[in-house]
Amino acid sequence: MEVTGKQANFLTARQAGLVACQACGKLHRPSSAVCARCGIILHSRSPRSLQRVWAWLFAGLLAYLPANIYPMLITATLVGRQENTIVGGVVDLIHHGSWGVALIIFVASVVIPVGKFIAIGYLAISVRRHSTLSDHRRHQLYEVVEFVGRWSMIDVFVVAILSSLVQLDAVATINPGPAAASFALSVAFTMLAALSFDARTIWDRDTDEGV
Amino acid sequence: MSDDLGPTSLDIRPAKAPFWSRISVVWLVPLLALVISLGIAWKSYSDRGELITITFENASGIEVGQTHLKFRDVTVGIVEDVEFAPGLTHVIVSVRVDTEILPYLDENAQFWIVRPEISARGISGLNTVLSGVYLQGNWDTEIATAKDQFEGLEEAPVIDVQTKGTRITLRAKEGGRLDAGSPILYKGIEVGRVETPRLSENGDFVLIDAVIDAPHDQRLTTASRFWDRSGFSISLDTSGVNLDVGSLGALVQGGLSFDTVFSGGEPIEPGEVFEIFDDEQQARNSLFNSSNQSEVSLSVIFDNSVNGLTAGAPVRYKGINVGAVSSLTAFVDNSRFRPRVRLLVNFTVQPNKLGLQEDATEEDTLDFLENSVASGLRIKLATQSLISSSLLLELVEMPDEPSAVLDRTAEPFPRLPSIDAELTDFTATAEGMFERINALPVEELMQAAIDVLESVNAVAASEGMREAPDELIALLADTRALINSEDLQATPGELRGAIGEMNTLLADIRKGGAAASLLTALENASAASVNISAASENLPALVEELNALSAKANTLALEELVTSATSLMSNADKVVGSEEAAAIPGELASALAEVNTMLVGLREGGAVADLLLALDEASAASVKINSAATGLPALAADFEELAAKANDLPLTELVTSATSLIETADTLIGTEDAAAVPAALSGALNEVKTVLAEIREGGAVANANATLASTQSAAEAVEKAAASLPALSERLNGLVARAEATLAGYGGNSEFNRQTLTTLREVSEAAEALSSLARAIERRPNSLIIGR
Repeated sequence: MEVTGKQANFLTARQAGLVACQACGKLHRPSSAVCARCGIILHSRSPRSLQRVWAWLFAGLLAYLPANIYPMLITATLVGRQENTIVGGVVDLIHHGSWGVALIIFVASVVIPVGKFIAIGYLAISVRRHSTLSDHRRHQLYEVVEFVGRWSMIDVFVVAILSSLVQLDAVATINPGPAAASFALSVAFTMLAALSFDARTIWDRDTDEGV
Repeated sequence: MSDDLGPTSLDIRPAKAPFWSRISVVWLVPLLALVISLGIAWKSYSDRGELITITFENASGIEVGQTHLKFRDVTVGIVEDVEFAPGLTHVIVSVRVDTEILPYLDENAQFWIVRPEISARGISGLNTVLSGVYLQGNWDTEIATAKDQFEGLEEAPVIDVQTKGTRITLRAKEGGRLDAGSPILYKGIEVGRVETPRLSENGDFVLIDAVIDAPHDQRLTTASRFWDRSGFSISLDTSGVNLDVGSLGALVQGGLSFDTVFSGGEPIEPGEVFEIFDDEQQARNSLFNSSNQSEVSLSVIFDNSVNGLTAGAPVRYKGINVGAVSSLTAFVDNSRFRPRVRLLVNFTVQPNKLGLQEDATEEDTLDFLENSVASGLRIKLATQSLISSSLLLELVEMPDEPSAVLDRTAEPFPRLPSIDAELTDFTATAEGMFERINALPVEELMQAAIDVLESVNAVAASEGMREAPDELIALLADTRALINSEDLQATPGELRGAIGEMNTLLADIRKGGAAASLLTALENASAASVNISAASENLPALVEELNALSAKANTLALEELVTSATSLMSNADKVVGSEEAAAIPGELASALAEVNTMLVGLREGGAVADLLLALDEASAASVKINSAATGLPALAADFEELAAKANDLPLTELVTSATSLIETADTLIGTEDAAAVPAALSGALNEVKTVLAEIREGGAVANANATLASTQSAAEAVEKAAASLPALSERLNGLVARAEATLAGYGGNSEFNRQTLTTLREVSEAAEALSSLARAIERRPNSLIIGR
């Protein structure tokens, strides 16, 4: 798409007095309540979309705090027991010289979730307020957020795989800490937040009516 | 734009929905999350426990966030901080403790660091080698006033606070044989343990805390006695050898036993002090548990040697041990006129052993001793046994001693007066005896004996001795030749004639009453003989003296004497063998013939009457002689003395003189003059013969009467002279008697001979004994010392 900032150049379904199906994209008359093709309930705009976005976003944030406070990985070996939080693990890896792995985990576990919070929050605010970014940019941001969100689970996968593989009784045992669950929840909540966001509202800015 | 829709589409605006319906359900999710989070946060805050601080000497192995506090092996806390106390004197460990535990942490709580430890009790804390150290806490199960500051123990306590039992304190002279954890046994069953021994405040003894576990602590009464059963003990008595070995643990770690030694003990309070006795026998014999009293230290000074007194030697009072010597020192005493070293002996006595009350104080004891000293109590050294030289101190009561006082101000301890002891030093006596044996001149004795034997040998082996028999044989041969000469053969004939004449003369004499006179003379002579006999009774003693003299003579330089005698004999042989000597018998025969003739003349010349008179005179003379003979016993006594003196005489010189005399005689005989003597003798005899012939021919017989008359007067003179000659006769008699006895002594079975033989045998035996002794000593010189 052209990113020119000229909103007047294209017509939205709403402006055309039609309702587009969110699933298949078929246009219906406003009187239609259900998509003739795929059968889902038609909404010109998702009702209470922003409310849901904010709700999921807060839930994700709440879950993200213990994910960083509590240990992610509990390693019990013969000589001792080690508990690593996400950031602590990254620092440990840096100390051990594994810059690459440290970078991957840091990006997946810290940069992406935090970026998602910021991006979703920004999008949700920008729907109501004027934004310095054009509608096209914001839509692109939304696409990126929605795509990247699932990769945050990489940390949880690592913990899950290690926990199931390394169970050597007294010699070495790795167990997921409380942070693993909360981190997984946090990721899920932010993904839900991203999903709840009705990207069509980005384009409604010039209209007085929202919601 | 909406205007475009215009009339076709009404702007239908539904009435605003109620607030709740406008709120999305999704808000429940963050709400729930918030609630859960808050709930977790609150719970973890409320569960995080309280911070307590424990002070340790060092924090070896403690790591922040990793070291746990455990109680009954369950983690109840974690170390949160380790920091220094102000002044860096200690380490303060902050521990976050579970709140449910917190109320139990009262002043009884104990904390220590569990480390790997290897001790006599075994290996403990091995798990900490891999996992690192941890803090162990121990506290009782009663809730009390909680504390949050504690002192950590350096090592695990032997008796933990949860042990139910009675705590007591034990008192011993030394604690080296007991270690923390040493068991306390009751009839062989372990019923308690001891803590690490510690010194009492004044350092006199060792205190050991111990606990007797319930329910065994009910066995403890005031009649209980504890004794040491560390290691093993061996006792030897009339019933045999008794070996007492405790458990292996007690062997390694030491241990105590206790038992109730008499009935009627009172129950005890916790903290009761018990004495530890050295062995079971001592414990059972101890009526007093002298735990509540200490010993009283005293001192005493000795001027003499205390050799044999050692620290630990007993102090006895009337045979009972009342204390022990603690130390011996010497010091310089400047208080007298000149500095001198004196010996200070410190010792202790137990007041109860002296018969004082069990709660007697040191003052009471000193008061008692002060009174005792005033009434004569003294310290003296005594030997422990007859044979050993070990000494002990004895408290003796000597009421007669000069008064003395107990010096209570003396340093270092109150001083008791001492008295000197009369110690019978057995070892010194034995030593003196050995020294005397050692000093015997055995070597010189042996040397003298060897010298004697060598001299005898030399005498026997000398050439002169060997030659002596030859010379003797030659002498006998010459003598036989002399006797066999014809002149000498003729002599008996002449002699018979002379005897015949004499017979005739005697017949005349008998006729002339001479017999009576002779009888008288004989009686007198008999009396004289009796006297002589009496005198000779003293002769055996004389003979003994002479025996001794002979024994002495034995040792004389006989060799030279024999040589001289031999040469004398050879010279005598020459003289006898000379022609002049051979001529002597002839001369003698003719001289006898002359005598015969003269006797005939006498008979014819009435000489008999004169002879009677002469005999009367002789009788009188005999009477005198008899009276003189009465002095003979005294004479014998004198002779005995003389012999004794002779015994003492320097016979060696005498023999030397005799030797030289004989040599001189030898020389004399060997001279030509001596050889000429027989010739001169022969000439003299010729002269005699001629004179006799002249007498016979020249009317000599006629003169004979006159001569006899003169003889009578001469006899009278003799009578007078005899009266004046008792001394002379005494000497003669003595001489005769001595000669007789001497000759008798040399006879066949005479006393002298026997004694000589005996003496010789004894000498021989003595020589043999000495010889074998010498050989024995030569073979084994040490036999002289060891006595075999």
